[in-house]
Amino acid sequence: MICPGCSCLCDDIEIMNGVVRNACRRGAEIFLKYKENRSKPIVNGKEVDVDKAIDKAVEILKSSKNPVVYGFDTTPVEVQKLAIDLAEKLNAYIDDTSSFCLGDLVELVLKKEVPTTTLDDVRNYAYVIVYWGANPYHSLSRHMSKYTYYPRGEKRQKGYEEDRFLVVVDVRKSETAMLAKTNARYIVVDNDLELIDSFFKVMEGKAAKYANEVSAVIRELRKSDFNVIFGGLGLKYGLRDLKPFVELVKKLNEISPTYFIPAGFHANMRGFNETLFEKTGFVNKYSFRDNTSKDSYAFVELLKNDTIDSALIVGTDPVKSLPFEIVSKLKKIKTIVVDPRNSLTAKIADVVIPSAISGIEQSGTMVRSDGVRVKLDVIEERDVNDYYVMKRILEGL
Amino acid sequence: MMRFTRFLKVEVEVVVGRHVLAENDAIVFVHPNIAKIAGIKDGDVVELERNGRVVKLKAKISENAPEKGCLIPNGLFASYLADLNEFKRFKANIEVSEGEVTKIEDILKELSKT
Repeated sequence: MICPGCSCLCDDIEIMNGVVRNACRRGAEIFLKYKENRSKPIVNGKEVDVDKAIDKAVEILKSSKNPVVYGFDTTPVEVQKLAIDLAEKLNAYIDDTSSFCLGDLVELVLKKEVPTTTLDDVRNYAYVIVYWGANPYHSLSRHMSKYTYYPRGEKRQKGYEEDRFLVVVDVRKSETAMLAKTNARYIVVDNDLELIDSFFKVMEGKAAKYANEVSAVIRELRKSDFNVIFGGLGLKYGLRDLKPFVELVKKLNEISPTYFIPAGFHANMRGFNETLFEKTGFVNKYSFRDNTSKDSYAFVELLKNDTIDSALIVGTDPVKSLPFEIVSKLKKIKTIVVDPRNSLTAKIADVVIPSAISGIEQSGTMVRSDGVRVKLDVIEERDVNDYYVMKRILEGL
Repeated sequence: MMRFTRFLKVEVEVVVGRHVLAENDAIVFVHPNIAKIAGIKDGDVVELERNGRVVKLKAKISENAPEKGCLIPNGLFASYLADLNEFKRFKANIEVSEGEVTKIEDILKELSKT
């Protein structure tokens, strides 16, 4: 089975007699507890049947002047396509969690501003492996053991102590940073821009704040013809403007081939980015009324600026993940939640429509963090899933 | 029993990060340096305050926290303190507290009142 727990989309999960093999803690929990904390169809606090909840959702969206369609990072590409069709039909805004997560980093890859590769090639060939502002120990628990640092690969047969060089850049000594011991460097940063500046200065032969660390990394880069940087939220929020990072990757490629892969995110965030990019040329925060993408069209900005009067939220939980001052605005608009779980957002929504858990009760396609497409399996297919709900809403409009 | 450290409020750096098993838990990972300064022991209930918002969390002493502060798992408690400008890294005040940790329902109740 494929694990839908994160964007690693591990393809070697085995389930037998209630035992889940090969999954990480997050993945195992998804398979073992998927029947718990399920949502029920609700309209204005009262339980109704699914059809009534869908009808109410249609009614809200039909009468809405400024709707947003938001989420979809845990749903298959086939559902994401319907979401885009729905947003187009409504002349609505459409966005996903990537606008405050790693969408900017995926955009760099899709626009070919940085060279990229696959996790399979990283396993086979990569020598210097940099985790920049990412802690895969918690966010992508099998990233290092299945794809990057620990496995032996086609050209990396000697094991990680000799055949890999690990670099961890972080503001704290995360669990991943603690692994940077032999043949490795942990670079603790206060300001990511200073580290980038140090790389440029060292390459020009000048003194720099991180001269020792940077010199060691450059020395190792020269030893290999395949290196990779994984960028996480720490990189995004540490820099905000990614141009210096893009310049750095270009400069490093003058020394040795160095690829970039966004470190990871919700299971199918990249799927959403790619699907919207194919249709519009933008990865997120898009308006079908204006046919363009702007920062002010990000879900958080739409809420902050009171731009929207309704929100269709699918497969994500903004009450849990967004600042309180922002989500408190959800109470001022009509909110429709489509989610298999009774999420925190479902608890405050006007309409709740239950759906199915992707990769367990709903099949389809997802896109791994490196762009590889993966077909999901199911344990028990549910009739009322995201695809069904989105199709019904779309038909109702 | 009242402790002297009850009154010692320390400004710390808070980093918000993924934590695979604790995203719904009212927990904060405090660096040993800060724990020493603020008199925080493993298992203490501590109060984190930022811009008038307060959450009470159970402290766990951890080297994985930033040296000048603490780590809160991604989730409702971190989101309650954060804002858009300082979403994943911000300053907050920490002190030892008493009583129960903040419950998810407490924050949802406040959200319903807005």
